[in-house]
Amino acid sequence: MNGKPRIGVYVCHCGTNIAGTVDVEEVVRFAQTIPDVTVARNYSYMCSDPGQALIVDDIEKMGLNRVVVASCSPRMHELTFRKTLNGAGLNPYFLEMANIREQCSWVHEDSIAATEKSKRIIEAAVVKARRLEALDQKEVDVEPATLIIGAGIAGIQAALDIADAGFKVYLVEKSPTVGGHMAQLDKTFPTLDCSACILTPKMVDVANHPNIELMTYSKVEDISGYVGNFDIKVRKKTRYVDVSKCTGCGDCASACRQAGRFANEFDEGMGMRGAIYLPFPQAVPAKYTVDKESCLFLSKGKCGETPKCLEACQPKAINFELEDEIVDFKVGTIIVATGFDVFDATLKPEYAYGVYDNVVTALEFERMVNASGPTGGKVVMLERGKKKKKKKEGEEEEAPKVPESVTFIQCVGSRDKSVGNEYCSRVCCMYTAKLAHLVRDKAPDAEVTVFYMDVRAFGKGFEEFYDRVRREGVRYIRGNPSEIYRKNGKLIVRAEDTLTSTPLEHETDMVVLSVGLCPRTDTRDVIDLLKLSQSSDLFYLEAHPKLRPVDTASDGVYLAGVCQGPKDIPDAVAQAKGAASAAMIPMASGKVKVEAQTSIVDETTCRGCGFCVEVCPYTAIELVEINRMGWHVKAARVNEALCKGCGACAAACLSGSIQQRSFKDLQLLPQIQALGVK
Amino acid sequence: MVDITKLRDIAKEVISRDDVRQVIGYRPGTYGFRARPAFVLEPADADELIFSPACINNLATYIVIEEKLPVPRGQEPDSRKVAVMVKGCDSRAIIQQLEEKAYDRDHVLVLGIPCEGVVDMDKVNARFPNVDKGDIALEGDKFVISFNGTKEEVAKDELLADKCKRCRYPTPLVSDEMLGDEVERFADDDFSDVEVLEKKSRDEKWAYWEEKFSRCARCYACRNACPMCYCEDCVLTRLEPMWMRRSVDISENTAYHIARAYHLAGRCIQCGACEQACPMDIPLMDLNRKFYKDVRELFDYEPGTDAEQPPLLSTFSVDDREDFIL
Repeated sequence: MNGKPRIGVYVCHCGTNIAGTVDVEEVVRFAQTIPDVTVARNYSYMCSDPGQALIVDDIEKMGLNRVVVASCSPRMHELTFRKTLNGAGLNPYFLEMANIREQCSWVHEDSIAATEKSKRIIEAAVVKARRLEALDQKEVDVEPATLIIGAGIAGIQAALDIADAGFKVYLVEKSPTVGGHMAQLDKTFPTLDCSACILTPKMVDVANHPNIELMTYSKVEDISGYVGNFDIKVRKKTRYVDVSKCTGCGDCASACRQAGRFANEFDEGMGMRGAIYLPFPQAVPAKYTVDKESCLFLSKGKCGETPKCLEACQPKAINFELEDEIVDFKVGTIIVATGFDVFDATLKPEYAYGVYDNVVTALEFERMVNASGPTGGKVVMLERGKKKKKKKEGEEEEAPKVPESVTFIQCVGSRDKSVGNEYCSRVCCMYTAKLAHLVRDKAPDAEVTVFYMDVRAFGKGFEEFYDRVRREGVRYIRGNPSEIYRKNGKLIVRAEDTLTSTPLEHETDMVVLSVGLCPRTDTRDVIDLLKLSQSSDLFYLEAHPKLRPVDTASDGVYLAGVCQGPKDIPDAVAQAKGAASAAMIPMASGKVKVEAQTSIVDETTCRGCGFCVEVCPYTAIELVEINRMGWHVKAARVNEALCKGCGACAAACLSGSIQQRSFKDLQLLPQIQALGVK
Repeated sequence: MVDITKLRDIAKEVISRDDVRQVIGYRPGTYGFRARPAFVLEPADADELIFSPACINNLATYIVIEEKLPVPRGQEPDSRKVAVMVKGCDSRAIIQQLEEKAYDRDHVLVLGIPCEGVVDMDKVNARFPNVDKGDIALEGDKFVISFNGTKEEVAKDELLADKCKRCRYPTPLVSDEMLGDEVERFADDDFSDVEVLEKKSRDEKWAYWEEKFSRCARCYACRNACPMCYCEDCVLTRLEPMWMRRSVDISENTAYHIARAYHLAGRCIQCGACEQACPMDIPLMDLNRKFYKDVRELFDYEPGTDAEQPPLLSTFSVDDREDFIL
């Protein structure tokens, strides 16, 4: 920049958002009197095309070298106006935003005081603008690969899209199989498509796609770097099975001494498995896994003479000597698709889940109605925890009892402040309707009742489906049950029909709790890896609720599926496709711009205490030895590619030796002074 | 108490070592009851070293404030160790300096002095005014004050420095050589003095501090005496940006003292050197102790007790209290 500052001040009306409270004409008259202000104007929408054209025109014709836009938060339009400056040939960092909307007009009613405050804010911005410096935005190359964490339907869909576009995908899944919760479902609402029929082809595709490297039973251990150049470390946990040899025949599982002794996680504990197992028949990859905790040989060191699985395995794939493997690779972008946990129903003790055998969660019920589930798709009464009697010779197994009445309770763990979940889980109303329909289908004589607070049938085809289920004879009672207890072998649901204000005691054989969707219990691990933020519901926070719903505050990291908030399958798939295309933008362009408002260290005064090193969330600062007048001393040094310009270091530095560009003490102090008492 | 002969012998032995540049200790002062720092460069210098309850200075300060003169081209800086005598409280300054990477552990040779308490020089001077030259010794629970050929005994409690009355670490927490036997903790800190101030109303607090701060002459003795204030270029006296003007008035003085106290939050090791150095009797420890108490209560953190722990304000835990955020 040459010569004296020539500053343009542009005051935005933002319709009536600002002009409704602040006298913009008066503010402009004032702005014209501030030293170094060459021109001040107001316009209804500065961010609009004609608004921006005003600025471009003045820069070109009046030779402005600084621009102050008095409008909204820089979070909203700083980038917009930086582009405007850039387009007019001015360094984009010669822009200063004066926030007279969020910090003034929106929060004040008194028009005169708000106008005065706007003047102050603008004057402070002008004072800062005088001291702004031109900054260079550097570009770095982008590694054409994506890491996707979680291989549920969202992770699978994002992986397929990116791989089809020709980029490399590393798909990391914690459990032994891909598929996530969707693989557990029987039918999907409202169309009643078979979940497995639409999911399993995609599961097979991710395993076979030449561009996808699938890592199941694996965990991301470390992520460092920045957009375009993330370094990833993944631990591939050993299955004690050589996956290159395992044919998935299942001989090992039948031979296992522990066969059928452990609750199968995939069946929500409804079905049983052995120590070596395949979670379900269509699991991908179809490779068996030894569960270390339940395997006699691995936990006790002894399993008969030799483990039976070893003998049974023809291709000799089982090897108890195998160890975890650490894999390192580089990616340009990351998609987090870690999904959810269902609400822990024991947190609502009034529903006696875990006390009575036939109070089940919806996901357990889902496994029951699933044709490949533990009951072969039959709706039957449960006798949990009871050991099966050994069948005597010739004795017929007693057929399990079919419930005469099944009752659903909605909003268990959702819209419930008492358990800390204020949000609606968005799927329970419809999956309850679907399950109610399936009971109608599979146990036609059973009476089906649903207790609900509201029925939220907002999606495509939802209302129609809800209507259909009611017409099938499912009885909906509006009321939130207060208690479940047992009397004469029956479960009694105590509630109030709030439409008629009638207290009632509803007798039933089986209660299905429509549990909500919750952030995963291991959410913290991913936050520590990626510095993600959480919204108040503790799901991961997107960068902007409306305009950047798949981005995060960390560049190059995107969100897909329920980890960002409850959603149904089509929404999760849509978001996955969105995240996939967002992740492909930097990869397709091959270059990405890195933050220019980075920190710089004054090595002559830095005392090398390392406070900045400790507080930097991006590990962008290190202590290096420098020569200061012949002395070997330590000083901080910033890696500008890693620095995100958060300013934490500048705040921590006691000697003021580390400064953030555009927010230097010398720029901020006069700004603060301008706001102070005159 | 420390055996002076042994102290001098050890100092001689230490300064004779090839890898030691100087020994920092105490020697008698030039007037009144004071002792002053001694910088021993030759074995002969060690003969004037003493330790007595008059040795109130925190010598750890001198490790960090020593000016590093430019080293002529082609020469290497003198990297020999500095040996320093520290009381329990002073040793915490060394730990905190190590936490903050002010120097490497092998840069210093710590000579630990287990300490039974030092006097508050203001109390001594008030009791025995206008004494040209005198000595103070501790015998049991009494201070023995000798001057002009007379000897007087005063109960320890009457002249003991306030910081010693709540000292939790009389024996140095870090040392390479201990110059005496371990002293058992003889006091504890209940922060009752801080609570008195906390109970004041906002107006009372302001009246209290306005009176204290208005006395300040901005001589920066508090900063210079502090073992934790050792920036090459102190932000509080920098000209650009000028965070506070140099004028001595209540507004700038207040800004100075608040900034000084904030810079010591989570770092102050309660040695009291600042207050002791202040010529205007400003109770600087009142501010420091409020921070110290808060830091202990909020973060269970005590500065200068563990060189391995990271400095408090450079750490963040998701479990940190945040009820102060609106």
